[in-house]
Amino acid sequence: MRIMKACAQLGHDFICLCTDVDRECGHVDMARELGGDSCVYTISNYLDANEIFSVADHAQATAIHPGYGFFAEDFRFARRTMSRDRSMIFIGPSWWVIRELGDKINTKRIARSLGVPTIPGSDRPVYNELEAENIARNLFDFQAAQGIRDGMVLVKASAGGGGMGIEEVQDLDQFRSVFRRIRNYAKRNFNDEGVLIEQRIFDFNHLEVQVVSERGGRKHVHFGTRNCSVQSTGKQKRIEVAPGFAPGDLPYAFDAAKVLEDITHHSLTMAREVGYDNVGTWEWIVTPKGEPFLMEVNTRIQVENGVSAVISRVGGEFGVNIIKEQVRLGLGGELSYDQEDISFDGVGIEYRIIAENPDDRFSPCSGAITRFGWQEEDWLELSTQIPRNRVYEIPMEYDPNLALAIVWGESLEQAKERGIRFLDSVVLEGESGGSAAEFRTNIAYLRDRTANLLEF
Amino acid sequence: MDSDKRVQVLKDRLTYIEDIFGAKRVETVELLGAKFGEFLDRLPVMDHSVRVREFKQIEDLFAFVERKLETELTPMDRVRIVRHPQRICLKDILENVYDNYTEIGGRGEFNIDPSMLIARANITRRVGKKVINQPVMVIGQEKGHGEGFRNGGSAKPWGNAKALHYMKVAETENIPIHTYVSTPGSFPIEDYPGAAQQIARNLYEMATLRVPIIAVFSEGGSGGAEAVGLADRRLMFSHGYYSVISPEGAAAIEGRLRTGQRATPELVEKCAAQLGITAEDNLRNGYIDRIIQEPSLGARPEHYDFYKDLRREVVQATNEVVSSVKSMKLFRAMALKNRRRRKGSLDPESIYVRWHLSNKARGRLLEKRFQHFREMSHHAYEDGRSFWDRVKSGMEPLGWTIHSWFSYGLLRRPRKHMEDFMEEMRAEAHLVREKVVRPVRGTLQRMKVVRKKPSSRIQERAREELTRLSCPEEGACIIDDSWLWMSPRSQEDKAVSCPNARTHGCQDLWAPDLFAEFAGVCTTCGHHFPMEYEWYFYNIFNYVEATEFNADIESRNPLGYEGFELKLDQAKKRTGRKSSCVTFETTIDDIKVVVASLIAPFRGGTVGAAEGEKFILAAERARKKHYPFIAYVHGTAGIRIQEGVNGVIQMPRCTLAVRRYIDAGGLYLVLYDTNSYAGPVASFLGCSPYQFAVRSSNIGFAGPGVIAETTGMEVPPKYHKADQALSRGHIQGIWDRGEIRKNLYQALLTMGGRNLYYR
Repeated sequence: MRIMKACAQLGHDFICLCTDVDRECGHVDMARELGGDSCVYTISNYLDANEIFSVADHAQATAIHPGYGFFAEDFRFARRTMSRDRSMIFIGPSWWVIRELGDKINTKRIARSLGVPTIPGSDRPVYNELEAENIARNLFDFQAAQGIRDGMVLVKASAGGGGMGIEEVQDLDQFRSVFRRIRNYAKRNFNDEGVLIEQRIFDFNHLEVQVVSERGGRKHVHFGTRNCSVQSTGKQKRIEVAPGFAPGDLPYAFDAAKVLEDITHHSLTMAREVGYDNVGTWEWIVTPKGEPFLMEVNTRIQVENGVSAVISRVGGEFGVNIIKEQVRLGLGGELSYDQEDISFDGVGIEYRIIAENPDDRFSPCSGAITRFGWQEEDWLELSTQIPRNRVYEIPMEYDPNLALAIVWGESLEQAKERGIRFLDSVVLEGESGGSAAEFRTNIAYLRDRTANLLEF
Repeated sequence: MDSDKRVQVLKDRLTYIEDIFGAKRVETVELLGAKFGEFLDRLPVMDHSVRVREFKQIEDLFAFVERKLETELTPMDRVRIVRHPQRICLKDILENVYDNYTEIGGRGEFNIDPSMLIARANITRRVGKKVINQPVMVIGQEKGHGEGFRNGGSAKPWGNAKALHYMKVAETENIPIHTYVSTPGSFPIEDYPGAAQQIARNLYEMATLRVPIIAVFSEGGSGGAEAVGLADRRLMFSHGYYSVISPEGAAAIEGRLRTGQRATPELVEKCAAQLGITAEDNLRNGYIDRIIQEPSLGARPEHYDFYKDLRREVVQATNEVVSSVKSMKLFRAMALKNRRRRKGSLDPESIYVRWHLSNKARGRLLEKRFQHFREMSHHAYEDGRSFWDRVKSGMEPLGWTIHSWFSYGLLRRPRKHMEDFMEEMRAEAHLVREKVVRPVRGTLQRMKVVRKKPSSRIQERAREELTRLSCPEEGACIIDDSWLWMSPRSQEDKAVSCPNARTHGCQDLWAPDLFAEFAGVCTTCGHHFPMEYEWYFYNIFNYVEATEFNADIESRNPLGYEGFELKLDQAKKRTGRKSSCVTFETTIDDIKVVVASLIAPFRGGTVGAAEGEKFILAAERARKKHYPFIAYVHGTAGIRIQEGVNGVIQMPRCTLAVRRYIDAGGLYLVLYDTNSYAGPVASFLGCSPYQFAVRSSNIGFAGPGVIAETTGMEVPPKYHKADQALSRGHIQGIWDRGEIRKNLYQALLTMGGRNLYYR
């Protein structure tokens, strides 16, 4: 939706893809409204690149925006967009950048070569048992020296992902057997024996740096930091706050302002080194002692970009739109301002309103929305695909996201208070399995978590 | 003789002539038939003396016609003679040539394979006053006289397995083996084992079977013939044929026929004439040692004189083989040679050679067998190497041998001793340090003479190790384009559908991704699209740094096969190579290896004389240098039919070479890639103890079309897939394309014999 708005604002024609399942959603309505009936194409599957390209060819599109997921971090899709016979512009970083930063191990190595702090441990797959044991011993010694009680080491299959092939080790005596187990698991399941060994970090905060770069990869700015520590059990973000810490409003055990400065500095250093050339997010974890470690780089625009935009001023002006910047820069537009032109003001909180049950491991809730309303405010931005004039069936095929609300306040205190006020004003009714009582949303959970935002 | 019986014999002769020449010598046959009819009409009214005269006349007429037709025999006529139900069969031979025999392994159709007959037989004769009884093992395909269950002598894999079993029995009993080859080809079934798998086993074992083997060819149909045909002496019936493929098969390929279509008789005739299948052709080419003359129009059961000749010939051949390796022979060897020059001067039955071989003689026998085959078929390829190259390639092996002897034989042992010694010393020194130096240092530390290393410095180092970039020499970015050589298909902007899309829901893949980064493997279902041989050369075998050798040994058209010259030239032009076998020396990681590969773009990777020679030279090179020997089969359609027996003979030749290599303690590893069928798989490839296949490969004896045609069975889908070959036990593993290199290196480290240079 926001991409279409951005295109419309920049004066570009666009087409919009939808599938049979979500053709009734609000975003399709908006596409019809902004671009006319002819700009909506129905495809069978968002994951089929061939179909997407044939639609693009049919519509004579000159550029493709991959959205937030699916193809946004797929360097092959980007490469194909660029190097096919009828080439198009991929709104996102160049494919080689996506490839280099899409691989976590590679990202870690690049970071280390620049002196950017990363999680202690190995930075390439370890095959040799003696080498592995040496790393593990060092990690335990290191944690002990740091005064961490019950230090832990993570052993994971380098080719794995999504939690598969990861185990925690509590002491060195267990390490060898766990290492062998993971190595054999990796060999059987991923055909690669490589194993990574890292320190297990507890109670960390998840911070992000929003980076924006020009095509050509020469000029880079950041739009501040975000704190995304409120997550579901499945590590899905629920509340994002910008900026990442509030050193003025809250006491921290470490120098929070310096941490924020360090991570933005490191992020920009890396962006310069790899020649980053679009919008991206550097994800960091910060330990309770205030040590930041680079986790990974998201080479795409993220859903939560709006919360950074709302606190940012370019040349003192309101109304930064990072998606609009992304499209403009992606098409080769110039980055006409410097870091000095960017200033930050106030605190932004983004809530994701989702039909789910936070008490039951955030299990998604199916059903229909019968009523949805809220109090409009000038400090509130809310986008939703739910049409207001009819009953909306939540599609089972995709995540049951209902709305995204961004609240702004002059201070953390005010932002929190406004956030609560907004959540209280939301009227969201629906039914699940024929009963209204079964219908669950995460609004109460969001309100609970608002109280101690940014505290560490 | 009773006149009814004589009439019956003449009738049989007439039908025989009709069967063989019926179609094209109509007038002659009709004339003969008419004369015979007239004779039959007159027969009842003749009196005795007339009858005697008339019988003689009509029999003379038959003999005359037969002699006349004999002079005009075409190769295809010989094929018909050999296949005729009246042709002598192995049973006839056993009854008439040998003095006493017991069939082993069943009776009639109650047999594991009625088309393979095995008998323990005796040759009994009187030399001087002594009666001598010499046992032999007789093995051969039994066609019978038209019985269906004999399957026309087309032996099934288990029939060949039975043959192999009894060859080994003969080896244990130390008696000679007489094999009689009379098969149109092996039964092309993929069972447990498959046809190719079993023939390869037979060849591999026969290569070093330590008893004399005499083979007699009547019908030598390709792979089936080789299963029992690798012999020290190869005799052939004058009306037999020995060919790479049946003339019909050749015609089907030549005429590009689909299943169900039949080739025209003219085309079949032409193919038969071009393939060089007759006894004379094979003698001239050196693939058989001697022709046994048959009566006009081929031997039939009633030709009793012929059995006598046959007996003399096989006894003679066995004597020759045995005496050529025996140390005690003296005059008998001379006598044997002598007899050959003046035929009939001395009956071979009167020369007695003990067929029992001593241990040393057995060794010599194997050496001779190897040399015998090694010297074959040199006329059938073009040696394009310059004079200097040839001299060099003659001298080089000597150099390798000397080098190997020095570095792996002579010097290795003292060096090993030295290393062992040093290792022991170091261990001692370590102990001394622990026991003596450390307490002293501890004391000094306590006395504060020497300062202890601060622990913070150790911590600092540990921290450093955990957080700085490891192996900075690799560079920070370890992602690169993983393949050195990429298929030209990766340049096309198009989407490729996976054949499993319907069953596995695979999405279409973009060609530049599929053929470059994914190495032709579907990311969803793992289907392997075939890749070019260059892909393997560059990405697996490090072809950039390889040294190719014998590239100038060139395929040619030894039989003058019509139109083949042109096709060969086209293949040479298209691939820029001179034969389908590419041999080179290269390194895989740090191990030096010799690679011989068969590449599909050159005439389907078929094997002819040049390919065989190159393969053997490569195996010899690997043996002399103590390198591992890898046969990479990008694809092979079989033996090159246009080269006829020049191609087939590569099956035993190459098998002997690899057997030699394996026995010398090397590592012979075969890697199949795409379609690998027929002769090569049924011999020098299929005999390897280490055979692996890329997932894209099909392995078998005959293609589905041929199986359906010859056996009439319905070929199930995926009949030849690598997984099937794996469950048949033919191959030892299936490798995904992306991990070939890793697996290959692993194989080099873990497999093979004792005599590899890096062991």
